Amino acid sequence: MDQVIWIEILNRSRDVAARVRFAGPEVRVGRGYDNDLVIDDPYVAPKHLRIFRDEEGRLVAEDLGSVNGLYLDRDSRRRDRIVLDADHPFRIGHTVLPVRDPGYAVKAERVAAPRMHVQGLLPSLGLGAAVLGIALLALWLSETGEPRASRYLVPLLMWGFLVAIWVGIWSILTRVFSGRAQFRRNLVIALSGLLALALYSELAHFMSFALTWRFASTYTYVATACVLALICFFHLREIGPTRLKLKGGVIAALLLLAIGLQTLWQSEAFRDFGQQSFMIRLMPPALRLAPVRNENDFFADIAHLRISVDADRLKALHDDAAR
Amino acid sequence: MGKLLRTAAWFAALAAVGAALAFAGEPPASVPSAAEQVFAAAPARLLQIRTVVAGAGRQSSVGSGFLVGPDGLAITNYHVVSQVALEPQTYRLEYAAADGSRGAVELLAIDLANDLAVVRLDKHDARFFQFVAGETPGLTKGERLFSMGNPLDLGFTIVEGTYNGPVEHTYNERVHFTGALNPGMSGGPAVTADGQVVGVNVSKRSGGELVSFLVPGRFAASLLARIRAHPADGPRDFRAEIGRQLKVWQAGLYKSFGEQGFRPVAFGPYQAPETAAPWFNCWSHTNASVIPKVRASINSTNCRSDSSLFVANDLITGSVQLSHSHVTTIDLNQFQFATFLSQQSQPRLISGGNYRKWYTPQRCHEDFVAASGAPDYPPLRAVWCAHAYRQFEDLYDISVIAVTQDRGTEALVSRLDLQAIGYDEATALAKRFLEGVQWTK
Repeated sequence: MDQVIWIEILNRSRDVAARVRFAGPEVRVGRGYDNDLVIDDPYVAPKHLRIFRDEEGRLVAEDLGSVNGLYLDRDSRRRDRIVLDADHPFRIGHTVLPVRDPGYAVKAERVAAPRMHVQGLLPSLGLGAAVLGIALLALWLSETGEPRASRYLVPLLMWGFLVAIWVGIWSILTRVFSGRAQFRRNLVIALSGLLALALYSELAHFMSFALTWRFASTYTYVATACVLALICFFHLREIGPTRLKLKGGVIAALLLLAIGLQTLWQSEAFRDFGQQSFMIRLMPPALRLAPVRNENDFFADIAHLRISVDADRLKALHDDAAR
Repeated sequence: MGKLLRTAAWFAALAAVGAALAFAGEPPASVPSAAEQVFAAAPARLLQIRTVVAGAGRQSSVGSGFLVGPDGLAITNYHVVSQVALEPQTYRLEYAAADGSRGAVELLAIDLANDLAVVRLDKHDARFFQFVAGETPGLTKGERLFSMGNPLDLGFTIVEGTYNGPVEHTYNERVHFTGALNPGMSGGPAVTADGQVVGVNVSKRSGGELVSFLVPGRFAASLLARIRAHPADGPRDFRAEIGRQLKVWQAGLYKSFGEQGFRPVAFGPYQAPETAAPWFNCWSHTNASVIPKVRASINSTNCRSDSSLFVANDLITGSVQLSHSHVTTIDLNQFQFATFLSQQSQPRLISGGNYRKWYTPQRCHEDFVAASGAPDYPPLRAVWCAHAYRQFEDLYDISVIAVTQDRGTEALVSRLDLQAIGYDEATALAKRFLEGVQWTK
């Protein structure tokens, strides 16, 4: 054996648990301590196999008469000899072992995404203050009764508690899977999402009043679900930057499912109880942007609404007749 | 049924008290009272009308009725027979007379507007009731009337009460009878001391004491005359007939409402249209004395028509409502005031288990509107909500809300609710209503 080889031992999640360098002509592998590489796997024989180079210089693994045998990984056919290939590890017992020589071509260096420089406490504080400010302002502007401290404190504490739990769970997950909790980064993600939601809700309120664009408030649930999905995606990216497409796909699918269910629920409630999610939300008249319409134009729209109402009725009669 | 049982238990308690009093008091006079004489003549012609579930053969509701001719015709309330009229496959009618005879009942005609129905019994040659002759009964307030029927399915009774003339502020003509009408007596006759029918028991005011109503007898007499003149005319498809009569009735109601018109009433710097129709009950409301101290003052009037129409057990419609609230901030800022106004101007939602049976989903439209050109009109935030009646064509419930948009600290919230109205009629009325919201000149 004139060349160095590397043998790796993979753990259950197929990460490399150990990597050993060998320079000899032959490597013996087994559970016994007389081997060159000792494997702590009860399903591996004391003298399980040897790895050597054949006449043509190929690396070969050869079973030394074990009970459980030698397999290529992800293959169920037992083999006596395997000509090794760096990309196809072999398996003995429950242990998977890739064998590679120094010439093995590793992948090119991955370009690092520019790290968000949000390690400090400042961004979280700033975001937190912004969310808090908007929430308090919205509460204050919708205050019509006797001012009460509990009206402000209870929702704020509740939301603070929820955010803490949410960020805590993601931090624990991040810690489990990537080693570092990244609490501040997770906090920034959650607070950004909350800020987006708060801004959206105020904007939707403004648009439905000032421009009489109702769709923004009608579809608040879609916007909420989207923001939530984005937050989850960024949290998942914190956990590990691998398989981002898969994670994105799963989140998109869940998002569509949630929106679909909510839409279905709303349309069924609309049919059964006739409650379109219609709420009049006024603002000071000075904020009006849409022009004041002539009453004839307004009543033309009203006449147009009749078409939808009559269509509802025909559809209802049709459905009743079908049943 | 549960409600009936509860009421019945309560009645049993009352009856027990009554018995105790009777023992303690004077023995009854031996001379028969007027009520005794009237009731003694009643048995063969006084009826209980039962709605029976055809499949089970058991009664699902009971009312009363009375024979009006030798041909077996009898009068009762439409609301006593409404289940049969609407669902003839599921229900049928039976009668039990005060003389103990029983038999089948055939529904011949209905008068939705006056809550009356004509039925035919297989009971001929029995004595029958006569109506008081003439357009008006010629009675004076305080005259004795005797109302008969079978309250709560407890047995036939006679109730002594007084005639108190026609009810005021009502669109549907009714006689005010001061006497105890109870569920189950609907459709029974109310007669004078000589046994002539003045009216038909129809309803009572819950929350009042002995405030009961009769349908004037002349409506029953004229319905009867129509049926006798055209015996074959009785519609067999009562559901379609109900739709037709409802349409005619509401056309009359809204024609009258439109013709009576609106009169301007001042609310702070605004003037608002109030109805001039006499069949509305109007009430004022202010929040000035509310504790904890309010932060915006409301002065409002609310006018509701007394025009409701029974169509089915779960559909009573035909009510019209107008209200105006003048709202002024005390120490709310403009945003807070706008929130406060929003709370005052939500569309009223009719909902519940039977929503889907009678109505299509409600749809709304809102915009900023100003009545054409003239400078007297403040800009409004106007909302229009509509749902159609599923089973009746061109019939809608419409709700219009307008909030003035000229000041940030003061506004008029005006609402108009129209039940069972044609779309075009509603549009025309709403237009007049919105044009009625003006600045005071």
